[in-house]
Amino acid sequence: MLPTDELELKKFFVPEFILGRGALELAGRYARNFSLRKVLLVTDAGVKQAGWADRVCTSLNEADISYEIFDRVSPNPRAGEVMAGAEAYHAAECQGIVAVGGGSPIDCAKGIGIVTSNRRHILAFEGVDRVQMPAPPLVCVPTTAGSSADVSQFAIITDEDERRKIAIISKTLVPDISLLDPLPLTSMDATLTVDTGMDALCHAVEAYVSNASSPITDLHALEAIRLIAAALPEAARAPDDLQARYLTMLGSLYAGLAFSNASLGAVHAMAHSLGGLLDLAHGRCNAVLLEHVAGYNYAAAPDRFDAITRLLGQQPEELSGNERQAAITRAVAGFRRSLGIDASLADLGVEPGDLPALAERALSDPCMATNPRRPNQKDIEEIYASAF
Amino acid sequence: MHRRSDPEQDWDTLRRRIIGLGERSIHKSYYPELQSRLAELERFRAILDQTNDAIFLIDAWTGLLVDANESAWVQLGYKRGDLMQTPFCNLIAPEKRIWFLDFFAAGKNPSRRQQAVTAGLLAAGGTEVPVEVTIRFVTFGEEQYAVAVARDITERMRAEEELRIKESALESSTNGILIADVEGYPIYANPAFLQMFAFASVDALSDRPVAEFFDCGRAGANLLERLVATGSLIGEGLGRRSDGLLFNIQISGSIVRNDAGDPLCMMFICMDITERKAAERIQREAYEQLRRNIEQFAILGDHIRNPLQVIVGLAEMIEDPLTATILSQSRRIDGIITELDRGWVESESVRRYLKRREPVAEE
Repeated sequence: MLPTDELELKKFFVPEFILGRGALELAGRYARNFSLRKVLLVTDAGVKQAGWADRVCTSLNEADISYEIFDRVSPNPRAGEVMAGAEAYHAAECQGIVAVGGGSPIDCAKGIGIVTSNRRHILAFEGVDRVQMPAPPLVCVPTTAGSSADVSQFAIITDEDERRKIAIISKTLVPDISLLDPLPLTSMDATLTVDTGMDALCHAVEAYVSNASSPITDLHALEAIRLIAAALPEAARAPDDLQARYLTMLGSLYAGLAFSNASLGAVHAMAHSLGGLLDLAHGRCNAVLLEHVAGYNYAAAPDRFDAITRLLGQQPEELSGNERQAAITRAVAGFRRSLGIDASLADLGVEPGDLPALAERALSDPCMATNPRRPNQKDIEEIYASAF
Repeated sequence: MHRRSDPEQDWDTLRRRIIGLGERSIHKSYYPELQSRLAELERFRAILDQTNDAIFLIDAWTGLLVDANESAWVQLGYKRGDLMQTPFCNLIAPEKRIWFLDFFAAGKNPSRRQQAVTAGLLAAGGTEVPVEVTIRFVTFGEEQYAVAVARDITERMRAEEELRIKESALESSTNGILIADVEGYPIYANPAFLQMFAFASVDALSDRPVAEFFDCGRAGANLLERLVATGSLIGEGLGRRSDGLLFNIQISGSIVRNDAGDPLCMMFICMDITERKAAERIQREAYEQLRRNIEQFAILGDHIRNPLQVIVGLAEMIEDPLTATILSQSRRIDGIITELDRGWVESESVRRYLKRREPVAEE
């Protein structure tokens, strides 16, 4: 159940960000403001191909800042990629990092930063507050509206040897500035748009029902849900609609501010487990799991789930208690189906025999600590099974 | 995450830390690290300030002093502020100023990136401090500087002068001087030694053990052992020239040790005593001849006196007018022989006197 002590200590951390058209063109200026002379530009092949990395390079050139491009970043960034990036950083004698891309390049950039400043292996930072030395300045230019890695204290890195995702949580991971420009979102296809959008929705929902939520995180979480529910379908339908993209970006930002402070829950713990073991797309896993976890968690925060149901267009007040629990499941499921996400875990390639291992790994994920209900192994296996 | 034995308790702890209430849950700030680095720099600065070397940081492009350690301005009698933003070359004595100006002018030439030079630094009072300056270009980011480290060599120059005097003394000595390492192989020989032993250079004798240069009888074979055992030796013997010829020498040897008493090398001083030895031999032979002559006189006296007694006895028994003359002449001859005997006794006193003055006379 959610804590009832309103006077319990809470912290709310807001990083610096610039939101709006043309924000990415400020990358050079801010890198220069940090007195950087050479930066490692971390991106991935898709973002580079779309031309957004070049746009940022132009900004850096205009600011007379040299750069080394590191684009060997895969979805669900690997520990090995982080270490390779750190080597590239040292080899090029960089002084800071500019990350251009979605959650993967940004998380990788965060990892590269702490590895270079602490000179330890990235896996050594697993857990909360394990980062001793702050990373070099990090300027983020997100090109998706979902991960909110550009404003969060989280970095999720895949330990490829153990086939699991580790969570690194530290206030020092929060980037120095995020340049939120809606323009790069227009190059996302519909699948990536809805997957990242559903990731942002999960951030908002899980932050809202988190046992670490606060009135401040609640404000951001509810606004995030409202914006995403309203704008995501339009953004998926009309990729070039800059206004819709802007609203999804704003929704993702709200969600990021909420979950970076209130943390997440079982959806992300279970999605991390899936991503680590089976290398599945993070947003898609979240989308498939959200309604089932919401149903499981409903009893721990019924009023909050009812509020979410309302934001998704349903009227729970007209329903009985049990029906309300089903309503949140229906509302979320309906929303994802409206976005064209019909997959089940089985469709994603999960085997029934994977569930015990998946559940065990999910239970050890730090996101589980702020889930409104305290599940056990059997609970998690049953949730996975319901999404099968 | 690592597996936990009590998930409920661990989740509570995790939750508090995720909220941001942990000891180390702080905003990304470089200030603590900055403080740490500043403290580190201050410690390093203190080390630089305490070193005896004067260290100057110079703008490579303008040649102006950007920084200097405490030793620099204290040794030269300036205040710190006096030196800043002044041309470094103004501190250099005129004789070497051009060298430094050229060095800065050739700053982009890699072959000139580090050099050492002896120069004079001008102190505030106008005196000149002899220094050895090592200067090199360094790059901090995009800034290029020169770092000059100046070491006061006043003491070193004095020591070098003393060493030069000692070397000159060794070189000009009329005694042969040979210095060997602790293994007994020559490392230095002065010109007198080379001439005495007929070698052209030190190189020609460096692979010969010192025992080969001396023939001191049975003692010569273990010359080194004797020297090591006693720490010093002195005596006479024979030196062996490069052509194998032997000559008389007086030799003294000693072990040279450092302050800790450890042996550093051996030193031998040789004097050619061939002429002295020849004079001694002549003197010895002359005395021997003198001794033999005196003995011959004594024998001659006995040989005369005995027949003379017979002559005197026979003359006293006969009555002859010549008897008186015979006896008179016999007494005269006896007187001469007595004078000879007295002279022999006196010659013994002379010999004893000479023996005291010239011991070699009896050898």
